[in-house]
Amino acid sequence: MSELRQSVVVDRMVKRYGRVAAVDDVTLQIDRGEFVTLLGPSGSGKTTILMAIAGFVQPTSGEILLDGRAITRQPPEHRNFGMVFQGYALFPHMTVFENVAFALRARGRPNQEVGRRVTEALDMVQLGPYAARMPRQLSGGQQQRVALARALVFTPHLLLLDEPLSALDKKLRAELQLELKALHERVGLTFLYVTHDQDEALSMSDRIAILRDGKLVQFGRPRELYERPATRFVADFLGKSNFLAGRAEGPDGATLAYSCGSLRLRQALDGPAPPPGSPVLIALRPEKIAVVADAVPDTANAVSGRIAQWSYSGTHFHLLVDTDAAGRMTATVPSWRCRIEPETGRLVHLGWDPDATVIVTDDGAPPPGAIQ
Amino acid sequence: MADESRIGAGRSTRSLGWAIVMFLVLPITIVVPVSLTDQRYLSLPQDGLSLRHYLHLIQSAEWLSSIGQSFVIALGSMVISVGAGTLCAIGCWRIGTRWSETIRVLMLVPIIVPTIVYALGLYRLWVKLDLLDSYFGVMLAHGVTGIPYVVIIVSTSLASFDPRLEQAARNLGASVPYTLRRVILPSILPGVISGSIFAFIHSWDELVLVLFIASRSIFTLPRRIWDGINEHLDPTMAAVATALVLVTALLLVLDMRARRLRAE
Repeated sequence: MSELRQSVVVDRMVKRYGRVAAVDDVTLQIDRGEFVTLLGPSGSGKTTILMAIAGFVQPTSGEILLDGRAITRQPPEHRNFGMVFQGYALFPHMTVFENVAFALRARGRPNQEVGRRVTEALDMVQLGPYAARMPRQLSGGQQQRVALARALVFTPHLLLLDEPLSALDKKLRAELQLELKALHERVGLTFLYVTHDQDEALSMSDRIAILRDGKLVQFGRPRELYERPATRFVADFLGKSNFLAGRAEGPDGATLAYSCGSLRLRQALDGPAPPPGSPVLIALRPEKIAVVADAVPDTANAVSGRIAQWSYSGTHFHLLVDTDAAGRMTATVPSWRCRIEPETGRLVHLGWDPDATVIVTDDGAPPPGAIQ
Repeated sequence: MADESRIGAGRSTRSLGWAIVMFLVLPITIVVPVSLTDQRYLSLPQDGLSLRHYLHLIQSAEWLSSIGQSFVIALGSMVISVGAGTLCAIGCWRIGTRWSETIRVLMLVPIIVPTIVYALGLYRLWVKLDLLDSYFGVMLAHGVTGIPYVVIIVSTSLASFDPRLEQAARNLGASVPYTLRRVILPSILPGVISGSIFAFIHSWDELVLVLFIASRSIFTLPRRIWDGINEHLDPTMAAVATALVLVTALLLVLDMRARRLRAE
């Protein structure tokens, strides 16, 4: 039954280059009409998986299935998948019209049909008036739209996108994210999107697969991944986190009591409690911390420290606080709620609720640039 | 001291450079006045300039037939070089392993081996194949020896070709031959044109191979000039040489335009 819901399945795929496994035993089931993002730092294997689905990389082992049928050994031109390449890969010697028409001409469609469908596709991306231009005469954003029209004009089974926004500036990127999401809803196709940008992944995807060193770390809805990261890597790659290394003491009502240095803290439990004495790693989002200046907050967890550094971004204050008990912590406070005047060296109290934190598996050092 | 020696080095380097330029260019410029001589023998003009040797050139059946033969042979061998050389370059590029690199180096053998050695071998082979003194024999010889130029130039073009364009074409449903025709070839066309021009020039002024494998019926332009110098010092040769230089220069200008096209 579930076979019918699935569009593409990557089944235990492994790809080795010499002794290095670029993709190491990854299984992904992508539902029909879903917008799925493969997210990971460079070298995590996300592009290799996309290229294997497109047919340009032959997996060392494992299968790629489309509607339950293995297509692992099918040449790319028989797969009928649309693809938007990094840098777009528009044909520089063809007009915008001929670029979009390419797939239809390769399939030997009659001229009249080619004309009609290309016009429709260009209108869909609001580029109708640019049909006669050459790709190099268009801006980056326009080229990106041509690449989209070219990949969609032949009604493919699914659309593969390889970092399509990476070459654009920040503002345009935000605009095109919204457009891509709207387009996905309009055409109802399965979209498989590769990026290393967590904002893109969070804002557009139905589900996100997080990859690291060729392995699938976690696969789920954006909110689920952000609120309930399974590992230290996910908690730090998707957004930022403070990490508290502690030792479990035992269940206390619906919470787990644990010690972190000299502190006694509480963590909400939604499963069995770890055995007393075992080490636990707790992830705490900077924006879930309340910062108070005068009195110790009445939250279940509290720690005091001095502001080591602070910055202001308009919407938020970002505070780096050196605590005696838990080391340096980051707190993000919305400016309109920040009752204190931040000042280096000032004593502040940080408080948070037991359900603000989450227990994560320690899967090694966080990626560079993470907060310690 | 140090400064002086550096200036001295600069000056000597510069004069050496100019000497080389002179060496390269002067022999070409000398044929122009000689071709305009008013005398009956190979000499510089004495009492005035004259176009009589050019007139003789376009009236002489022998010279005209040589020009025609050279042109046909150059065209034919160009087709062979460009066809084989382009396919070889594309094949090596697509396979892209150590083996294909070896093959690409092997393709340069006709440039590396001395022409005279090559000509000896070809002569023996052509005797067996009954290709001596035939249009096809000369075209084939020039065509094969012209391949390296095409392989080098087309490979350079391919090195700057974005392999994602090929992937995009395949992804859009194009077979390998369709991709070759509609995407790869148009993208490397300036390189192919450039290679064609060099292959044409290579055959157009080739003498050694022709001396070996041609006798009565094939009399290409370089061979006619060679014979002319050996037998009688007719100034028509200077006129022919001038024409040769002009044609070659014209082709090189075309090549530069093709390169500019590629740069865009």
